[in-house]
Amino acid sequence: MKFDYPKAPPLREYSVGEGEATTAADQRILAKDIPCQAACPALTNVPLYIEHLLHGDPDACNAVNLESNVFPGVLGRVCTRPCEDRCRHQWTNTRGPVRICHLKRAGADRATRVVAPPPYFPASGKRVAIVGGGPAGLAAARELKRLGHDVTLFERQPELGGMMIHGIPRFRLPREVVEQEIRLITETGIHVHLNADVQAEGLQELSDAYDAVCIAAGTMQVHQLDLPGIPPELLISGLDFMHRYNHRQITSLEGDVVVIGGGFTAVDCARSSARAARRLLGHGGKISIYYRRSEHFMAANQEEMEEIERENILIRTLATPVRGRLENGHVAAVTLRRNVLDTSSQGDKPRMITVPDSEFEVPCRHVIVAIGQHREEGLLPTGWELTTGFRTSQPHVFATGDFATGSDNVIKAVANGKAVAEEIDTFLMGTRRMETVVRVQTVHCDGYVGRVRDHDLLDPDPMQVAQLQQRAVDNHEVELGFSPRGQQTNAERCYLCHYKFEIDQDRCIHCDWCIDVAPRKCIQRVSRVFCRDDGSVEDVIEATLAADGTYIWIDSDQCIRCGKCLRVCPTEAISMQRTERLHRPR
Amino acid sequence: MQRQMNKRRLSEDEEIKAAGLTLDFDEIAKRGVMSKEEYAIAKWYGVYGSRQSGNLMARIVIPGGVVTTPQARQIAQTAENHAQGRINITTRQSLQYHWLKVPRVPDMLRELAREQVTTYHGCGDVNRNVAACPLAENCVHARLNVRPYAREAARLLAACHDLDNLPRKFKITWSGCPAACAQPYMNCLGLIAVTVLRDGQPQTGFQAVIGGGMGWKGFVAQELFSWVPPAHAVALTRAVALLFRDQGDRFHRGKARLKFVVQRLGIARCREIVRENLHAEGVSTADFCTGPLTEVAGSIPQRPLVDSRLETADGTAVVRVRVPKGELTARHLRDLAELSDRYADQRLYTTNRQNLEFHGVAQEKRPTLVQAVQQLGFETDGIEGICDLVPCVGTTYCPKAVATTRDLTDLLDPVVRQDKFAGIREAVRINLTGCPNSCSPYRIVDIGFRGMRIREQLGSVEGWEMLIGGSQRAHGWKLGEFKTEDCPAVTEIVLDTFLELREEGETLTGCVQRLGGGPFYERVWERPLGDGAQPDGGTGTGHVGGEP
Repeated sequence: MKFDYPKAPPLREYSVGEGEATTAADQRILAKDIPCQAACPALTNVPLYIEHLLHGDPDACNAVNLESNVFPGVLGRVCTRPCEDRCRHQWTNTRGPVRICHLKRAGADRATRVVAPPPYFPASGKRVAIVGGGPAGLAAARELKRLGHDVTLFERQPELGGMMIHGIPRFRLPREVVEQEIRLITETGIHVHLNADVQAEGLQELSDAYDAVCIAAGTMQVHQLDLPGIPPELLISGLDFMHRYNHRQITSLEGDVVVIGGGFTAVDCARSSARAARRLLGHGGKISIYYRRSEHFMAANQEEMEEIERENILIRTLATPVRGRLENGHVAAVTLRRNVLDTSSQGDKPRMITVPDSEFEVPCRHVIVAIGQHREEGLLPTGWELTTGFRTSQPHVFATGDFATGSDNVIKAVANGKAVAEEIDTFLMGTRRMETVVRVQTVHCDGYVGRVRDHDLLDPDPMQVAQLQQRAVDNHEVELGFSPRGQQTNAERCYLCHYKFEIDQDRCIHCDWCIDVAPRKCIQRVSRVFCRDDGSVEDVIEATLAADGTYIWIDSDQCIRCGKCLRVCPTEAISMQRTERLHRPR
Repeated sequence: MQRQMNKRRLSEDEEIKAAGLTLDFDEIAKRGVMSKEEYAIAKWYGVYGSRQSGNLMARIVIPGGVVTTPQARQIAQTAENHAQGRINITTRQSLQYHWLKVPRVPDMLRELAREQVTTYHGCGDVNRNVAACPLAENCVHARLNVRPYAREAARLLAACHDLDNLPRKFKITWSGCPAACAQPYMNCLGLIAVTVLRDGQPQTGFQAVIGGGMGWKGFVAQELFSWVPPAHAVALTRAVALLFRDQGDRFHRGKARLKFVVQRLGIARCREIVRENLHAEGVSTADFCTGPLTEVAGSIPQRPLVDSRLETADGTAVVRVRVPKGELTARHLRDLAELSDRYADQRLYTTNRQNLEFHGVAQEKRPTLVQAVQQLGFETDGIEGICDLVPCVGTTYCPKAVATTRDLTDLLDPVVRQDKFAGIREAVRINLTGCPNSCSPYRIVDIGFRGMRIREQLGSVEGWEMLIGGSQRAHGWKLGEFKTEDCPAVTEIVLDTFLELREEGETLTGCVQRLGGGPFYERVWERPLGDGAQPDGGTGTGHVGGEP
């Protein structure tokens, strides 16, 4: 027809404009749009819980976290925060990422009504045994219970929690927080056997007695350091030190302490030593961490590094211990050699090059070695071995957490615990019973989500930390949580990436009014758009002239969710959708 | 600038306004540039941006649409001094300068002030120019001369500094009879002079309608009072302005106008608030009527302002100047003022179709005046008809515009002048607006064009949303979206179809209201309506009754 003009196809990323998007491409688009959620191993809906906080609803905030990452109070304190590295404020703003982790904690601390997430299915009659009551085992237990199975948990220690209780010092993670969140899981009807040290033969028995077995025994075997001049028994293992410290078996230390290693345990040992030695205030002996690579490769984040410095702990990097020296049967010194990093080397961590003739001696009384752990191979009965995807050579025996993946952090353990539960469920029931969809809902609120440009420019209140005097007594928690104002100003910075502003190209008349009011280059006139296979926009060519503009396009990566474009649009071409990943029974 | 958190339910414009509404244009002139905030406040002084960077527009308010000849000469002189000698007539009876430079603004203001002409409150969130019937004093159908009311309302509201900061603009118009030539149903407040039977006696007063509007979303005004005594009509304008001031949305500027307040609160609640506002200022509303009343002052022909039906009450002649695209040169304005001094009532009248009128012309002088006007290059007939195309300034000047209304006007002109359309010259009005702001109200005319761009495979071209069959109380029906180059052909198809389907004396709008848009759609699209048809209106409100 003469007036039916050929047009470039409209741009729309999700496969549906309203309703449930079910394709894999939709999930990729969600991951692109909400990078923090995609970065979270447990796929926590970060903007949603921050939005709940913003609206003054910590219960709802905590419920979102409880559902996704099982231990909001714990992870709100000790998570490694992969989400914050991907926060869009990192690319677009000068004040660093939204303090996602601290906000999670704010929700958990302030929630008054904490209830366990509801079951997915009625009882299946299947019985599952889980070996290991750490974060992975507990997460798996909770999810298996929700899936309808009868779960029995075997824990070697007299209490549940694994590294959350034994490995992480109390001043970073108070015991009550862990216990409370564990109770929420066990109270759903999980059978718990404490002091149950399951070894190879025990595992064999469990595998005979249960429909499925899940091994989540962690990595309890420490890497040994061969330090000529000091017998192994005089070297303190980091894991062992933390266990003893957390159980108040180390109350004081004398003399200088050298901690070898750069991981979480090394830092925790150093900070715990500083407390045990009451050296927080800077008198008495020295606590030093020696790490073979640079600070950049240490596990501790910037904030923790600052606290370490405050606590008068020395960090010395690019040094590898080569031998030790005894005096009167006690450790007297460690000799180290300097390294430089081979910047040309490939991989996550660069190779180290030894600097010749660079040895130096550090006098000390104690050497704590925290250079990593691995799983107890002897736990698996002869002939059993781990295969891929949480499976073992036994079809009904699964493995998860650090035991399966090697030593890692709490959030990954939780994610793996949840994942293995679904694998076990699929095995037991013969079919995958859970599905993931992306729910896309148009929200009619004139584009008002509570954000204005000023929120990006705020200098948010930092989290309060305990004074050094306080820290020196009784393992006082260092991070004190956000003040209500701090919570609000930090939550307001969140771009609320789960809201998506999109232009209906068939209604758009290219008036450019949205471009005029846009706070930054979030809306562009573009001539060409290059899409990925999933339909998401990979790149665009901006058009200067109106005649070259094929589309007016909102760049979700730049969008600050101020809604000005939606409000100014004279043809109501701009809509705002709330997008949400739903994981639910099919 | 980091603003306070507790103001986030206020638009940025409101924050700027809160900081003060006064500017020193001499200081700005010395500096040569305006800040973003000054630019926003300059609107209160009638100074607005222009599409050409470095240039400004200034809008002169012409209360009631009448200027004296000394004022006209001053406006012409100032245009020559500061605005490249160009003057534009607007659809709300104001005059505009374009091509004004920042350093010239104070001198422009001072020069205009010599003749009591001002641009103050030409733009901005205030009561704008008060419009009125062009023929107010002298129309044979007028129930009242509304011009004094319009001018009095303008004076009152300009003096009310508690109305200086409204949520957005506020527009009043006064119509002398229910023919509604002054477009009351598309203004925030329309006052329509009516003579009704009250207590068995014919009494003249005003029907008040509020909440009409064009802009991005068209609304038809609703009746606030069916009769208001003339003595209280001006007080009512203030009461309605107060309603707007207190109830308008100060966060979402796109939904700030009074029409959205009426939509949100409902007309009954608005009526209550207006009554309260009047009572608070000591005005009794005991005489105010609501509900239907019978008009008794005699019938009015449809479109009384077309050439063949124009009738004056006192027998003097009206000579009208059709100003193409509403664009005048200073020289023209000065010459027209001269002609008014010589043959008319020493005044020039602006109309909402961007034309000028001479009133009070002695019948015997009429041919001389007509000839003199024609010698200036203007036509004196075809006003309010098919050839009287009304474009907004479009991308020629306006920073908001999407399309070049001037070009489409030039393309349509030869189409509508064709001899075959001689029989429908008074039955069709065409308006063209360059963007959804609808400065040329395209929803209320027989054929309305609204500028847009149409996406192509690569890039985009200028195009137009085309509505047909609109009136003030039943906005146009969307026929489709067409590229500029196709608009003349589509217009011709529509007019041909109208010629064919027309009943005696019927307007195009009447025809569309009688038959629906379907027959026109089928001719244009060569397929039946319903087969991939455009949704009704989209920008209109659907049909709710006959004209106006």
